[in-house]
Amino acid sequence: MSVRDVISPFTAWKNVFLDPVSIKDPINTRPGAPRYRGFHQNDLDKCIGCGTCETICQNAAIDMVPVEGEEVKDGDSGLRPQIDYGRCCWCALCVDVCMTGSLTMSNEYKWVDRDPDAFRFIPGVDKKSWDDAELGYRRPELHTIKPGLRVDMGEVEPEERICNFDEIVDGYSIEQAVLEADRCVECGLCVATCPTHMAIPQYIAAVREGNYEEGLRLLYDSNPFSQVCGRICTHKCETACAARHEGDPIAIRWLKRHITDTVPVEKYAEIIGPPDAATGRKVAVIGAGPAGLTAAYDLARKGHEVVVYEAQAHPGGMIRYGIPEYRLPYDVIDSEVAVIEAQGVKINYNCRVGVDITMEQLHNDYDAVMLTIGLHLGRSTRIPGTDHKMVTKAVDLLRDITAGVEVEVPRRVVVIGGGNVAMDIARSMARLQKQKYGEVGMTVTALEDFDHFLADPEEVKESFEEGIEILDARGPREMIINENGELMGLKTWRVISIFDEEGRFAPSYDENDEIDHAGDMVIEAIGQMSDVSLLGDELTEKLEWNRGRIQVDEAGRTSEPWLWSGGDCVKGPDVVHAVADGHKAAASIGSYINAREKQS
Amino acid sequence: MTVESKTGYKRLKPKKTLGEILDVAIEFEQTARDFYSALVPKVSKQLRYLVEELAVEEQRHFDLFSEVRARPDLESQIGEMVETPASDARFTDCVHLPELGEEPDDQAVLQYALGREQAAIEQYSALAETTPDGAIRELFIFLADEETQHKNELEKIYYEVVHSGGV
Repeated sequence: MSVRDVISPFTAWKNVFLDPVSIKDPINTRPGAPRYRGFHQNDLDKCIGCGTCETICQNAAIDMVPVEGEEVKDGDSGLRPQIDYGRCCWCALCVDVCMTGSLTMSNEYKWVDRDPDAFRFIPGVDKKSWDDAELGYRRPELHTIKPGLRVDMGEVEPEERICNFDEIVDGYSIEQAVLEADRCVECGLCVATCPTHMAIPQYIAAVREGNYEEGLRLLYDSNPFSQVCGRICTHKCETACAARHEGDPIAIRWLKRHITDTVPVEKYAEIIGPPDAATGRKVAVIGAGPAGLTAAYDLARKGHEVVVYEAQAHPGGMIRYGIPEYRLPYDVIDSEVAVIEAQGVKINYNCRVGVDITMEQLHNDYDAVMLTIGLHLGRSTRIPGTDHKMVTKAVDLLRDITAGVEVEVPRRVVVIGGGNVAMDIARSMARLQKQKYGEVGMTVTALEDFDHFLADPEEVKESFEEGIEILDARGPREMIINENGELMGLKTWRVISIFDEEGRFAPSYDENDEIDHAGDMVIEAIGQMSDVSLLGDELTEKLEWNRGRIQVDEAGRTSEPWLWSGGDCVKGPDVVHAVADGHKAAASIGSYINAREKQS
Repeated sequence: MTVESKTGYKRLKPKKTLGEILDVAIEFEQTARDFYSALVPKVSKQLRYLVEELAVEEQRHFDLFSEVRARPDLESQIGEMVETPASDARFTDCVHLPELGEEPDDQAVLQYALGREQAAIEQYSALAETTPDGAIRELFIFLADEETQHKNELEKIYYEVVHSGGV
């Protein structure tokens, strides 16, 4: 060892007198820059579990996991992102793509732990010191990867459409549809909300890729009323769409219609494929509406012989006899039903069960019976004067208009009701008034105020555009009838409140705010019910009922083992729910038939 | 039935004892319960739930009002005279049974039930208004509240059944 080796360590002491270049306390000081991309934060109330963060992450650092207390509901998967900091590169793509803006990054960057597993955590759930940090990386406002506004759907102008019953919605061009389809992030939240669980992200992707035949195949896998639903579906799927949080939801319904409009109808049968070989088993369906014909379609595709008994002269049930042609053209229904008939379904029109054939006969002649009778009877307010011959019910009038029966068209008409049926009859009669008198004289009086209105907002908007007067919060009191017995109109009182503080129906009226609405005809459109008289006393007595409606199990089976039911008469009015009911019942009937087959 | 009750004099006289008022209230519930119970087999099976629920509710009120009638703290006041309001005639009419026809539908049954509840609310509210503060007035307020709650429940059912979601 040399002398230098001994002295040299002591030379370091000279540094004691220099200014330090390191930080004395690196753990507690030196915050990250204001927009530093540090550890993640997630606002659990805003997060909808759409999983776009997981999809975009290039390092597979994000997994969507179930979280206690986060329930699965429409528009929320109940899953939340779990981040693995062994993989994360802090690129912030997950923040940029977040559909609700719930996922952000704090400017915190220090985290010391002996347990390596601790660095895989669920922001917002696993509490961290940076949860409430105000600084860090947030997606700049309006800095979104997907456009927020949907592609507009063209409509016939009000002045033109009020003169006829032509369809008013144009449909997308291919260019428009591709642009709209491109907005979809394929999160799939919509699939859970759709009653028939259509493969929505997949058929939207098919539009984007121009693969329309694949799109059509996907549609008819789950919905033999795709042409119809592409026009009049209640599209609850769009209320679950992740895109709605920072813009318009994807126009799922219109994209569905676009596929069915684009593929030639002649190709449908080939794309859908032939049914299975005949089983020799027979099923009767009562009612050629969406529920009955969906069940018929599924059963026919399984090779069963299906005969549908329809009381009216044409198919469609409530969608034909309750929905005006300007919303759903009859040839669309006919085209839809032709696809179903191509699977081997036979439909007996003008055949009323209970009159032309009995339930007992059907029970004896078929392996199973499906009852789908809709809601063809209208309710009445039964206020004084409703028995006047010029007071009528919306469902009866809509049925007559569809059937081509000549209906009376007075110059002034008042409608009672605020639901879609009220709008349908008001707009139909307004068209007839326009044709007859050159002007519209239509007043709609609804019990509900506009904040609680039952009709779809677009129906209300279009009604206003067509010159229909809609008065909300009006309670019908009595018909106004003159000394000659002629109907002069309807008297209403203002509704002060319709629901109590607990949301129950408890109407109160201001008797001093009374209006006489002039009308030569008053149409009641307050509610509907099923005509169950076809069942007969004996079967009515045998069946179990659920608050006035036929009781069915999850699969649509009634308390009678040979009888299933579904659609509007069980669930209330909604075409896509009726389709879902038809599928469930068909699956259950199929299992029942197979079980009987094995037994015999 | 006595001659007096047949003529309706007892029911319509201008003043009644609290005991008499409570007896009419109890009878009001009892006749309704019996009416609905008798109606159950007459209506179509799909409507029976409604009539059965009404009978159960009236039985609950019958039990409740009978209990009130037997309360020891009311014993001393049971003979006290109370001015009967203008609505008394309508109320006592409601004790009698209505004409609903042989096979009433759900809407007719509900409208009848709502009418009865409304008559009872008006009756008890009017009695409460004309009675001085004290236990008797509180009793009438209580009875009016009970009937109001029942009417609210019926209104809700009416909306669900008749307006069927406003379609």
